Amino acid sequence: MVALKYLFSLSLILPVGVVLSAAAQSADTPAKAAAKADQLLRSEVPFATPGKIAPTPIDDERFLRRVSLDIIGRLPTPEEVTAFALDPAADKRAKIVTKLLADPRYGQNWGRYWRDVIMYRKTEERQQFLLGIPLDSYLADSFNSNKPWSQIATEFITASGNANESGACGLIVAQQGQPEEIVGEVSRIFLGVQIQCAQCHDHPTDRWTREQFHQLAAFFPRVATRPNRQGGVAREISIVATDVDTQRFGQRPMNMRFAGTLEHRMSDPKDPQSEGKVMQPVLFATGNKLPIGTRDADRRGSLAKWITEKDNPYFAKALVNRIWAEFTGEGFYEPIDDIGPDRQATAPKTLEYLAGQFAETGYDVKWLFETIAATQMYQLPSSPRRDSDEEPMQHNVAQRLRADQVFDNILLVLEASESAAPPGMPGPAARFIRGPRQLFTTAFGYDPSARRDEVQSSIPQALALMNSPLITGALRGSGNTMLARKLAAIKADPALVQELYLRVLGREASPSELTTCLQFVKQLPNRTEAFEDILWSLINSAEFLHRS
Amino acid sequence: MSHSIHLHSNVTIRRGRILRRDFLKAIPAAAAATGLLSWQDLLLANAPALRKSGKACILLWMQGGPSQFETWDPKPGHSNGGETKTIKTPVAGIEISENLPKVAASMGDLCLIRSMNGKEGQHPRATFLMHTGYLPSPAVKYPTLGSLVAKELGDPASDLPSFVRIGAGQGANASAMGSAGILGVDFDPLTMAAAGRPPENTSLATDERRFQRRMNLLDRLQGDYANQGGQEVVGDHQKIYAQASRLVLSPKMTGFDLDKEPQNIKEAYGSGPFAQGCLLARRLIETGVTFVEVALGNWDTHQDNFNRSRTLCGQLDQPFAALLADLKGRGLLDSTLVLCTGEFGRTPRINPNSGRDHFPRAFTSVLAGGGIKGGQTIGCTDSGGDAVQDRPVSVNDLLRTVCHSLAIDPDKQNMSSVGRPIKIVEGGEVVKAAFA
Repeated sequence: MVALKYLFSLSLILPVGVVLSAAAQSADTPAKAAAKADQLLRSEVPFATPGKIAPTPIDDERFLRRVSLDIIGRLPTPEEVTAFALDPAADKRAKIVTKLLADPRYGQNWGRYWRDVIMYRKTEERQQFLLGIPLDSYLADSFNSNKPWSQIATEFITASGNANESGACGLIVAQQGQPEEIVGEVSRIFLGVQIQCAQCHDHPTDRWTREQFHQLAAFFPRVATRPNRQGGVAREISIVATDVDTQRFGQRPMNMRFAGTLEHRMSDPKDPQSEGKVMQPVLFATGNKLPIGTRDADRRGSLAKWITEKDNPYFAKALVNRIWAEFTGEGFYEPIDDIGPDRQATAPKTLEYLAGQFAETGYDVKWLFETIAATQMYQLPSSPRRDSDEEPMQHNVAQRLRADQVFDNILLVLEASESAAPPGMPGPAARFIRGPRQLFTTAFGYDPSARRDEVQSSIPQALALMNSPLITGALRGSGNTMLARKLAAIKADPALVQELYLRVLGREASPSELTTCLQFVKQLPNRTEAFEDILWSLINSAEFLHRS
Repeated sequence: MSHSIHLHSNVTIRRGRILRRDFLKAIPAAAAATGLLSWQDLLLANAPALRKSGKACILLWMQGGPSQFETWDPKPGHSNGGETKTIKTPVAGIEISENLPKVAASMGDLCLIRSMNGKEGQHPRATFLMHTGYLPSPAVKYPTLGSLVAKELGDPASDLPSFVRIGAGQGANASAMGSAGILGVDFDPLTMAAAGRPPENTSLATDERRFQRRMNLLDRLQGDYANQGGQEVVGDHQKIYAQASRLVLSPKMTGFDLDKEPQNIKEAYGSGPFAQGCLLARRLIETGVTFVEVALGNWDTHQDNFNRSRTLCGQLDQPFAALLADLKGRGLLDSTLVLCTGEFGRTPRINPNSGRDHFPRAFTSVLAGGGIKGGQTIGCTDSGGDAVQDRPVSVNDLLRTVCHSLAIDPDKQNMSSVGRPIKIVEGGEVVKAAFA
């Protein structure tokens, strides 16, 4: 009887997107929601300016650069900068946001973002399994087709089968199929609750108990990841579910886990060798529970349903908080994935409103991007990250670009191409060969969930930009390069300086910068060398590495 | 006055260790600056710092899990032992595998812990555990040993990074060797695919004059952005660029240049990437680097264990022995701990492919230098090598022992990003018997 009931509940999960998008009608439009959010925000956190007057929003050049980097992860081209500046339409900022969200690079950029969110916390290190997972393309497709956030979450939580065929397997595989690690990540990513701190003892600063953590882990005991062996070689990995007793497999050797267990047990810290207590699956956030003995598909299906339900107080807020922080440089809650009930939000009503509306749209991710990008808050000038005694949310904050964004922009501005893999490395070894993007990612990558002011620059980053063969070759002023073409096409030095500024920094040079560059060119006997040096300096500038 | 002593000591000491020549040169300047102090005063004032910072560590990482039977704990006469024979060492009662004749001759400097005991049997997890003392976790990026040591003992003012990792390759087992994690990028390893070439991107793309010209232009062009809300971003950026250019222009970069070594020394280490790595390790320690990790891979001998182990031992034997002799000859062995270990050992049972499989339950790790009492074994396995018979040593015992040698407090806590304090080593006991 029980089993039937939960089988039924599982069947409710699949059409969730359809059901919710019907509800989208009742949500405010992005423009209206943005205005409402700004109004609420300023009632909660007034401007600290004399007369509480809003600062002047950024100009078109800066807006276009900011929004292009935020949505598609790329700088606008010089042509796009010019066209946008000349466009007389009053609603051109809203229109460009819509246009950028329709660009396939939107999904690619945010797919890589979420891949990093998941993979920077991976405990699985076996790259032969990780590299095969189409996580990037799964996420890119999901965002480009504007799959509801609830559906994306559901697919990650309920993923099964060969990970090489389903990117949604990525989250579970990244945690080696270990229930305790998986639920820590599910809770952190989708609910913004750091319940994993309660794994060993009751949460030190939140209300969650160790028991609640293990009740959450009890949604995943039957899950495991298992290498698929073909001819003795394991190249792929699958998520498998175990709904029959696996005792016959006996003691697992050397802490390896190839099959699940029927129930999750919470170990006794006083007696770690004992079997531990069987835990019932209960979702701490809502109190929803399942009986012992429930099948894996029903456990995970029910969990996904309860996590993504509108009643869940955390699901919508977690994403709104994260995207707001990415777009404005300051989250309502920080760190962005720690929004539990014992945390204080800056401007809670603003967050409440946006999260409510986001849920109302059926978790329409593009709606959320459009709304935040339309706020006055988003369009404020950038200043350094505030000190803790300064008023919150008074300005935007420059954010370090992520590794893929830096790499893509280098390719874009230098018109260089990315070779998929170094030549001369055929066969299975190619799986482990890292191309220039991967080498770059090693130096420039960071965990997107980390506080941005704690993300440090490093010497290898500077060395890569200063000296790497990729950049050194691509910024040469001779041969078949971007600079060589521009040197030939643009004979006037001031115009060439402006072209490079537009291209690399998405803006024109200021009068003083122009003067500095022209003097520099004049001092050198060789025009090509001089412009190589200017281009080098722009590529190596702090501004190039940040979205301001 | 004490303030100026501190400043001078930072200038004078590289990685905290006094470089004799630098020291003699620096003293008159220091004394002149302070006006009053003799060099003995300075030395006394800095004695605690000098003692601590005299230490360095070299980790010879045997990637893949070497067979203890074919290296440090052979079992001739038992069916588990296979075809491997033993060789006598200068230390009465200690025999090791005949695959390591040169190292055997250095037994007087070595301490073999034959009772390493763990339960992680998967390469990346065991590799991560051996390097960090923790299992991988999504919540905390535990720092690797080299980064921990670099943070505690490294000289922040040094041109060179405090932690260099050589020859680890790429892929799962390399990334499981870990990084600085919660300690921050300052303590990340400078990784080198191989010794014998300068580290990646440290060779200038132009001549030095033009590089300086570019750096100058870069500085001048950053002013406007800094004035428009980018001051912090530009400030941090300039700091990193200053450090990076100091590194590439540093005279200490010759530490990476093996061509500076005399032929007889190169020959003593032998040929091959691991030999070059060991030679580079010594050069870097001498230049002021605190922690050098040199990897020798392919110990995962599921097939053809005996022949492959013999070949691998051939790559390990001469460089390891030469490194010990070289450090000793230069008076660096007492202050430099050398640890040679893999992530686990291999099964007593020989599988049908003449291979041995993963076996974390009983294997051997080797220590030398750094105050370690050589010429001894600690713990032992039973006659067939199936289990530890005496004094089981866990990974955390071993890491605690490393800390003890380097005068690092293993109970010191570093803070994780969610504010959780993480001990350098959680639990475990120092293997006291390892020390003289």
